[in-house]
Amino acid sequence: MAMLADVKKRTVRINGCVASAQAAKYADVDVIAAYPIRPYTATMMALAQMVANGELDAEYIVADSEHSQLSIAHGAASSGARVFTGSSGVGVQFAYELYSPISGSRMPVQMMIADRTLDPPGDFGSEHTDALSTRDMGWIMGWSCDAQEAFDNHLIAYRIGEDPRVLLPQMVCQDGFFVSHITGDVELPDTGQVKEFLPPYKHPYPLDPRHPVSHGPQIMPEQGPPLQLERARAMEESMAVIEEVHDEFAKIFGRRYDPWVEEFMTDDADVVFFMQGAHAVTARFAIQHMRDRGLKVGLVRLRTIRPYPTDRVKDVLSKFKAVGVIETNMGIGGVSSGGVLYAEVVAALYESQKRPLVLSFMAGMGGEAIVLKEFYWMTEKMLDAQKRGKIEKRTHWVGFEE
Amino acid sequence: MATIEVQRQLLPILDSPNQGARFYNPELPSSEPFVPGHRTCAGCGPSIQYRMTSKAAGDNTILVGPTGCMYVANSSYLCTPYNVPWAHTQIGSAGSFTAGVAAAYEAMIRKGKWKGAFPNIICEAGDGSASDIGLASISGALYRNHDCLIICYDNEQYANTGIQASSRTPYGGMTTFSPPGPEVPEGKKLFPKDLARMMAAGHPHCYVATASVGYPIDLMNKVRKGLNHKGAAYLMVYTPCQKGFVYETPRSIDLGRLVVECGLYPMWEWNPEKRAFDYSFRPASMRPVSEYLKLQGRFGHLHAEHIATLQKFANEQWRMMGVALPEALIHATDAKNLVNMAAAAEAEAVAQTL
Repeated sequence: MAMLADVKKRTVRINGCVASAQAAKYADVDVIAAYPIRPYTATMMALAQMVANGELDAEYIVADSEHSQLSIAHGAASSGARVFTGSSGVGVQFAYELYSPISGSRMPVQMMIADRTLDPPGDFGSEHTDALSTRDMGWIMGWSCDAQEAFDNHLIAYRIGEDPRVLLPQMVCQDGFFVSHITGDVELPDTGQVKEFLPPYKHPYPLDPRHPVSHGPQIMPEQGPPLQLERARAMEESMAVIEEVHDEFAKIFGRRYDPWVEEFMTDDADVVFFMQGAHAVTARFAIQHMRDRGLKVGLVRLRTIRPYPTDRVKDVLSKFKAVGVIETNMGIGGVSSGGVLYAEVVAALYESQKRPLVLSFMAGMGGEAIVLKEFYWMTEKMLDAQKRGKIEKRTHWVGFEE
Repeated sequence: MATIEVQRQLLPILDSPNQGARFYNPELPSSEPFVPGHRTCAGCGPSIQYRMTSKAAGDNTILVGPTGCMYVANSSYLCTPYNVPWAHTQIGSAGSFTAGVAAAYEAMIRKGKWKGAFPNIICEAGDGSASDIGLASISGALYRNHDCLIICYDNEQYANTGIQASSRTPYGGMTTFSPPGPEVPEGKKLFPKDLARMMAAGHPHCYVATASVGYPIDLMNKVRKGLNHKGAAYLMVYTPCQKGFVYETPRSIDLGRLVVECGLYPMWEWNPEKRAFDYSFRPASMRPVSEYLKLQGRFGHLHAEHIATLQKFANEQWRMMGVALPEALIHATDAKNLVNMAAAAEAEAVAQTL
């Protein structure tokens, strides 16, 4: 079979990894580059089965490393194929060399990441440091918090990245285990809806013998800045396309996501959590409990970190008295001596006339769940800062303090 | 919906009545996918190889260039010597990027997204890429049998970065990472990795061969055999580097012959159907290694004992190919019968004046 068979909309109970594999199938990818590492492996296992069953016609390549995975993806995308790859943890790092060449050659490769803590020691748990360490390499990047959102984000990301106004690779991230291995109801669309939403991939300058082009020639130093500027502009200008594509997605699929931030119970909130990914699901519960006790707490969940919605973050967070950044990543020796998200938040707020107090919470590290009582504890810290009008401490390692 | 069958090209093999002789073959294709105007050095072995290889492949070809001389010196932004699509990739991505291109064309043709005969997909990796940093990626591409040809243009060193030893640098070869000195008089102490044989042994379903710029028709035919072979092929080509080897620029082709005549670059083909080596290639003559060494500054520091060591190495290569050794070559493995390179160079200089 050459094209994807037509199927009708249906709801299935699958985990995040399988949801990602389903999305790749719906996108009718041509080349898949796999290499095993937990927890994202389950996505590639599902895709291997789909290819074996004849449900998806794609070249399924078991690479010899993550570096090769990304190079295969780069070569295939450069030739005009839609490609899908992925990794976790140290695997994401093993491929590091390729992130800049892929975005620099403007190839809309898509990479699924199910986060895993970096070594040492070997830890299967989710931590965002793997993907976040590549955040400035020119990839569009964002986190989903459940399987449905993961499925949707893959289709949305292909559409954005392959837009001729953008042409950038995308990292579609989900927390290892909390999303990748937790099942939930996922609505799989009609193939017709996907065809309407996602046109076939067409790179303007592929490696095609009929129209010879040279990709990536050596440059003189003075030729570097204009190319870097173009890549930076592509990322900046992708913001309008991202908004457009989310509107289009809502129209065709009936699910509307704010492309930048999800606000939860923020209307009259004094203090809010600022975070990415799966722990937001627990945060919503914790916030509901605290609201019942009369605490004015809310949640702002970042959905896209690259491009970073600076003005939006500034406008949203300026409304509050205190912001607690839940990091779930390592930024050793950085601005907050905790995680890297703090710096992004504080930098966005710098130009605001009304700046909330900002605290950095090192929580969810090493794949630990952030439990309800930790959310209550963090809320107390924020309320305390609000009451005093100043922070007691910039960074808190949650669970290691009284 | 039915799958579209992938059509593949079949390139004719050129007539080559006498591999060892210099002659012009009127059958040479007129196509020039690699044109002049690049910044390689005069007499550059890899670029001579590049021209022959791409000429043999023709216009329905895609070239992949991992970092190395053939990337840096050839491709200058806004000015390109490639008349066919070419892409740079990372030095460690030789096999993997190429595999991606091949996989893309398999899928795109099969799914009706690209129409035409499957292109020749050729990767031009230097020996640093092929024997060191990109070895696993190339092995992966050969193992998975993507329809492509991976060429190692072997100039026996990292030349683009300023002449550093690779695992293809010969014993005694001076580089900036293997300089001779009082404690290490021979310079490079290690023998080169037997890369092509390793590729043939590990991936016996692939067409694998060695070639040299000294024998252009043979080289072009091996390129075509590799491309005609359905699946992966690997070619290791001797391509002298005048900057790193330190020789007179017009002698690149001479060196390409001498290296074979001296037994330092065994010429063979691995036949994947018969699962056997073909050692039938015979150079016009057999010579002692000193004749090859004395033309190159990189060996200028060698003592008689080092030359004898290299002669032993060459003799092993001849034996591996089943060639009977003439007495003179056995004689040349004894250091007592040899002179230090400095003395040999002097004798050569005198000979030139006669």
